Amino acid sequence: MSIIEVGNLSFAYSQSQVLRELSFNVEQGSFLAVIGPNGAGKSTLLNLLCGALHSKHGSIKIDQAAINSYTAEQLARKIAVVRQEFVPVFGFSVIETVLMARTPYYNQLGFQSSADTEIANEALAATDTSRFSLRLLSQLSGGERQRVFIARALAQNTDILLLDEPTSFLDLKHQVDIYDLLKKMQIEKGKTIVTVTHDINLAAQYCDQVLLLGDDCSYRHGSAKDIFCAEQIEKVFGVRIFAGAIGEGKFFVPLGKFAKNSGIIAQNPEITQNKKS
Amino acid sequence: MTDLLTARKLAIKVISALVLLILVMLMCSLTGTEHISLKSVFTGISQQGMVNTDYEIFVHVRLPRIILAAIVGAALACSGVVFQALLRNPLADPYILGISSGAGLGVIIAVISGVGWTLWGRSPIAIFAFVGAMGTVWLVWLIGRLTGKSHVTGLLLAGVVVNAFFSAVIMFLTSIAKSQQIHSTIFWLMGNMAEENFSVLWLSAGYVIAGIIALFYISPQLNALSFGIEDAKSMGINTAGTQTIAFAIAAAITAVAVSLSGLIGFVGLIVPHGIRLVFGPDHRQLLPLSGITGAIFLVAADTLARVIVAPAQLPVGVITAIVGGPFFLILLIKYTKTIGWFNK
Repeated sequence: MSIIEVGNLSFAYSQSQVLRELSFNVEQGSFLAVIGPNGAGKSTLLNLLCGALHSKHGSIKIDQAAINSYTAEQLARKIAVVRQEFVPVFGFSVIETVLMARTPYYNQLGFQSSADTEIANEALAATDTSRFSLRLLSQLSGGERQRVFIARALAQNTDILLLDEPTSFLDLKHQVDIYDLLKKMQIEKGKTIVTVTHDINLAAQYCDQVLLLGDDCSYRHGSAKDIFCAEQIEKVFGVRIFAGAIGEGKFFVPLGKFAKNSGIIAQNPEITQNKKS
Repeated sequence: MTDLLTARKLAIKVISALVLLILVMLMCSLTGTEHISLKSVFTGISQQGMVNTDYEIFVHVRLPRIILAAIVGAALACSGVVFQALLRNPLADPYILGISSGAGLGVIIAVISGVGWTLWGRSPIAIFAFVGAMGTVWLVWLIGRLTGKSHVTGLLLAGVVVNAFFSAVIMFLTSIAKSQQIHSTIFWLMGNMAEENFSVLWLSAGYVIAGIIALFYISPQLNALSFGIEDAKSMGINTAGTQTIAFAIAAAITAVAVSLSGLIGFVGLIVPHGIRLVFGPDHRQLLPLSGITGAIFLVAADTLARVIVAPAQLPVGVITAIVGGPFFLILLIKYTKTIGWFNK
């Protein structure tokens, strides 16, 4: 069953067209990666999908109903969003931050019920952040903080999780941790996960479906296997790629003009050609 | 999770703070150039046919002024909290959206045009101040709206520009006005308490307390808004509604405070930050505790202003700045090590 249905969606900022006639579905319980160069409209698409932006052209259906038919509160029960890391100026603790996801469920006085606290604690446990639940956000490392924001999204108890470049500022281990966590949520809790990312290699390893957006409003949507080939990536990103494989998983290494091994590649173009299978 | 704020814990803190406020108000009302005793105040209006001066001073001079200081302090501290939350800017104060210059302009127009009429036996200066303040906030809000998407930045800039423009107009009007007219304006701009009659006090108190209670009801939403409008929205908060209500109420109670007592600086900045440093940023707690602490702070500051150069009196705005500044710095140094909102 498709939980997100996008049909003929177009979007333009005042001058520039960002998305044109975009159509794709996201199956319930699947993991979609949205990749593409800067300015291709990845974040715009994410903002459209969570109702932060509205488009007059085309349709977005969440759980069979048009996205505009939801109020902010109703939509927050369907979709949780993890944006690029933002630390508020005032020092909220980890548990306070995660509990905030329950705000629409608070009682009349504006306080959480014990059920809310329990849900928040479960989200902390699931993201392995319970240890520092009383620490302040500003006292955490980037990776820990990102996990807290994912915990807050989990505490919203939604079917859909949208993430905007969840690993952009993280070191290798934390990047892998985040993707492992997302995969675990997909498998164990049946969450539908849509993540915008620049990391083709992690996306190739973890995602089922890929939406590849080009900066000329072109797009390709399909299984990770179909979309991730060197030719495709080279075309969309405009950079030469070395593609390799570990078992079924592919990996891609960009090759710049002045990179150390660019000479070797130039002399032996078949190194990249061979792997384009 | 013993550290979570619950309704019960909050009630205990608020009640303790209220008790402290009442004690401070009582102490301050017995302090002054004229010594009065609580015992003789309780004996009532007349003592063996003679007028009880202790009672007269207590009820008709000190009490109104102390209640006034409490109302103004609570209003300024709470609107400081709200503006800091909405603009996500720790430097925001109640006057940031042009309330000060708008009210100032209202006052100087009233003084220069030499309004002679009175309303309910009062000089209409306060009414001019109130109308000027609300008009300016509305203007700033409108300009902020027009700037579109990045609403918060647009509002801040609109506030700064309108403030600067109106200040220039105020300076122009001051320079062409007669000097005896100016004195009262200057005194007002420095922030000054005067004795008010009780009907004005009760009306303003009701207005400010109702505003603070309404703000308390949207304080969970203010918490979520601290993470940005988009984040709050995706957590299911009606962001547009919350912002509009919060701005309107904060502006209105600030305008009441300003029209009652002129421009009293620092209260809206140091009290919320002090409470935040000690108790944390949760608005459900921050808002009521800031209101009460703001009241305590201004009552104490005004008492100092009354007695420190007695028999003369200082404008209370001078005291809040002189006492508030260093006090805030001490808090800042003591707590930033454990609470890191300046780190990022």
